[in-house]
Order: sequence, then C-alpha cells, then structure tokens
Amino acid sequence: MLSFENAPPFSAPLRFFLTAPLFAVLAGLLLVIEGPVVFTSRWTPGALAATHLLTVGFMLQVMLGALIQVLPVVAGADLPRPLALARAVHVGLTGGGLLLVGGFWFGLPWALAGGALLLGLTVFLFLIVMWRALLGVPSTSPSIRGIKFALLGLAVVVGLGLLMALALAEGWPLPLPLLADLHAGWGLAGWAGVLLAAMAYVVVPMFQLTPGYPARPSWWFPLAILAALLVWSIGVVFDLPWLVRASQLAAAVAGITFAGLTLRLQGKRRRAKADATYRYWQMGMVASILALLMLGIAAVWPAASELDGWTIGFGILIVAGGFLSFIVGMLYKIVPFLAWMHLQNYGATKATAPAMPRLMPDVEVNRQMQAYGVALVLLLAAVVFPDWLGRLAGLAFALANGGLAWVLFRAVGRYRQAWLDMTLKLAIKKK
Amino acid sequence: MSHPKTPHVVDARYMEPPGPFVETMEMLDTLKDGEKMLLLLFREPHPLYKVLRQNGHDYETELLPDGTFEILITR
Repeated sequence: MLSFENAPPFSAPLRFFLTAPLFAVLAGLLLVIEGPVVFTSRWTPGALAATHLLTVGFMLQVMLGALIQVLPVVAGADLPRPLALARAVHVGLTGGGLLLVGGFWFGLPWALAGGALLLGLTVFLFLIVMWRALLGVPSTSPSIRGIKFALLGLAVVVGLGLLMALALAEGWPLPLPLLADLHAGWGLAGWAGVLLAAMAYVVVPMFQLTPGYPARPSWWFPLAILAALLVWSIGVVFDLPWLVRASQLAAAVAGITFAGLTLRLQGKRRRAKADATYRYWQMGMVASILALLMLGIAAVWPAASELDGWTIGFGILIVAGGFLSFIVGMLYKIVPFLAWMHLQNYGATKATAPAMPRLMPDVEVNRQMQAYGVALVLLLAAVVFPDWLGRLAGLAFALANGGLAWVLFRAVGRYRQAWLDMTLKLAIKKK
Repeated sequence: MSHPKTPHVVDARYMEPPGPFVETMEMLDTLKDGEKMLLLLFREPHPLYKVLRQNGHDYETELLPDGTFEILITR
C-alpha cells in the first residue's frame, strides 16, 4: 500500500541502509588483516570483532532503520518524531558498534564496556519509543504480534550482551561460553529470526507475488521461538545441559519449518522473472536451512560442535549466508521504492518520477549479487582451508559489500538528480 | 468476481503496490452510501485504514486460514 503521509522522511531510514555495508566492508578487511587465525576459533579477538561488525554494524543498523520506516505501514503505529529518533539511534549504533568492535579486536576493556553501554542505552531509547507507539495497538495480524515478540528478543539479547561485556571488562566470574551461546540464540532467533518472519509475512507475498503465509503457523512461529529460548535460558540458569540441547533442537525445527514454508511459497510465485530479491532470499533460505541442520545435529550429538570449523561455519552460514542475504534482498526493493515514492509525491501530478529500475538498474544489482555469492562460497571454503583462502575470502567479502555500498549510493545520487530535475520542471511550469 | 458478503470485490492478493490502494479507492467511488465492498489482501493495509477512517468509512477485517485478510468496507 502506498501512503505518503504515514512515511518518515527518506533520510530517516536511509542513513542506516548506507552505513550498514561499510561495517561489512570493515569485517572483510579485518579478515584480510588478521588472516587465517580468525577461522580457527570463535573466541579469537578477530572473530568476536568480525561477528559484531556484521550483527551490530550491519544487521542491527538495517533492522532498526527499517522498523522506523515500516512501523506505520505494517502495524499502523505512528512514531512521533521519526527523524529525531533515527538520528539519535543511528549515532548511538554507529558509535557504540565501533567502540564495541574496537574493544574486542584490540582487547580494550574501556572500549568494550563503553561500546556496550552506548549500544544498551541506544536500544533502550529505541525500545521505549517503540513500546509507546505499539501501546494499545492490538495484534490483529501475525506481523504485529511478531514485531512485539521480536522487540522482547531485542531487549534480552542486548541485556545479555551488556552483562557479558561488563563481565569481560571488569573480570566478573560468569560462565561466558554458556551465556555467549544464549546471547547468540536470543539475537539470531529471538530478535532477528522473529523480526524476519514478521516482515516476511508482508514482504514475500508483496514483493514476490507469492501466496500468503498460512495464518496458523505464522501466528505460532514467534511464540514457538520465544518459548524455546525461554526454556534454553532456564536450562542455562539451572545448569541442565539436556534442556538446553532440547530447546536448541526445537528452535532449529521451528526455523527449518519457516524456511521450508517460505521456499514453498516462493515456488508458487506469480512473478515470472526471478529478480535479485528472489535470488537473495533463495540463497538465504538454503544457507539458513544448512545452518539450522548443523544446530539440530549439534543438539543431538554435542561432539559435533567440537569439530574444527563447526561453529565458525555455522556462524558464516547463518549470518553472512542467511540474514545478510535476506536483508540485502529487501534493501534492493525498499530503497528504489522509497526513492520513487518520495519523488512521486514531490512531483504530484505536475512532474513524473523516474521508474524504479532507472533509480537502481538491474545490471548493477545482479553484478553485486554475483560478487556476494562468490564471497560467501569463499568464506565457507576458508573454514576448511583457512591458510589458503582466509585472506582472499575477506577481500572478496569486502569487495562485495563495497559493491553494495556503491549500488546504494548511486541510487541515492540518481534520486537527488531526479529531485533537482523535477524542481526545475515544476519551477518552469509555475512560470 | 463476486463473494457471499458482497458482489463488489477487489482481489488484490497478487497485485503490486499501489494497485490495491488505487483500485479500492476507485471502487469506493462507484458505490452508493451504505453499500459494501470487499478487499482481499495477504497483508493488513494500515495506510488504507487511515484513509478510510479519515473519509468516514467503516471497515471490518477477518484473517482467513490461508493468510488472506478480508476487509469489508462500507461506503
């Protein structure tokens, strides 16, 4: 649905979308600098820094920016001052993310604690505004319910992250490996996974012209994930490893079911042309299913996670293969659409906005997607051959994400040019 | 396309934006006061709801098992 009066200014979400790829470029450069050692263990400073460059620097940036944009459209909840909120959250996320990553990479306790505190404060502000906007909004669709549950997941993942960062910085005696798994679970499943599903219910049928998600599973998926994470948390608190593994298995099964359902819907799409969004989502679904199979296998057979490269491979599949692919796929629809919508409303009936493919040409998008696919394969191969491929994979990943930044910045440049052209046309017509 | 609830139906389930919005507003224009129309979509159209409220139209939404939202709008 198109509605201009509900939409925040373009610059509100755009700042997040343009910053995110730069964090992913940094992650690639980190791999080039650090080399094979990053692929040896998830606990190395480089691996921790790279993980948070992608999860906080890329994923959280886009997800919060997109929520500011879509909340009025998906939930009918208006944010009072979207641009002011976007500015504050963007500064907090960018500064906090860089500090946190610097803290991990260079082993600086003050940066780790400072970054985590800044991120915690920023997300707290965001959650307060969201909570006030959603207060009194009934959960009339699975998407609204999903967004509410995802925000709960965001509160927990950030709370756990803050606790661990302070524990690391201050030397508090906490079971960090157990908490790190739980933190990752709440972040990837409770926040990112549930938000992705809530968005997918709307955008997959809308962008890819597929049938809708059946009501019952869409209604229950967010609850199933949150229930599994609550049980997982109880297992950690009461030191019950079997309960932790059972809940991980349940989360994996729920995730695979959602991914399988999405693939089935995509198979029934009415849009004949397989565009970049569709291809990116297919890549994301396949990578996610593989990652979730690994999670399921490790839950049943814990020794698997001790195998060389198992956890790093899982992380690459779920983050770079899954979530980043979904997000980039959506950006390639959302950015040209928003640009076109703002131009269209500016010109009204007096000046015509350029068509979306002119703002973001397919040829640029497809080239970037191919580069990303190559980078992903190289990253996965580098898990097996870190000495040969570690740095090369990092370079490929940096280039692919540099390509993403280039495509997005070019689209914004064309948008600005079109705005100027239309201003000129409108001025001439006035005369 | 007709429907037990009303003969005036916009099936926008496989339509790209802004098609559903435009077709709904166009159909509303053809109706007499008090007549009803049905919009079928795979999502809830909150921006349309806002416009309907502003124009004084009532609407009721029902989510069907296949994921279709049936929005019954009274002119």
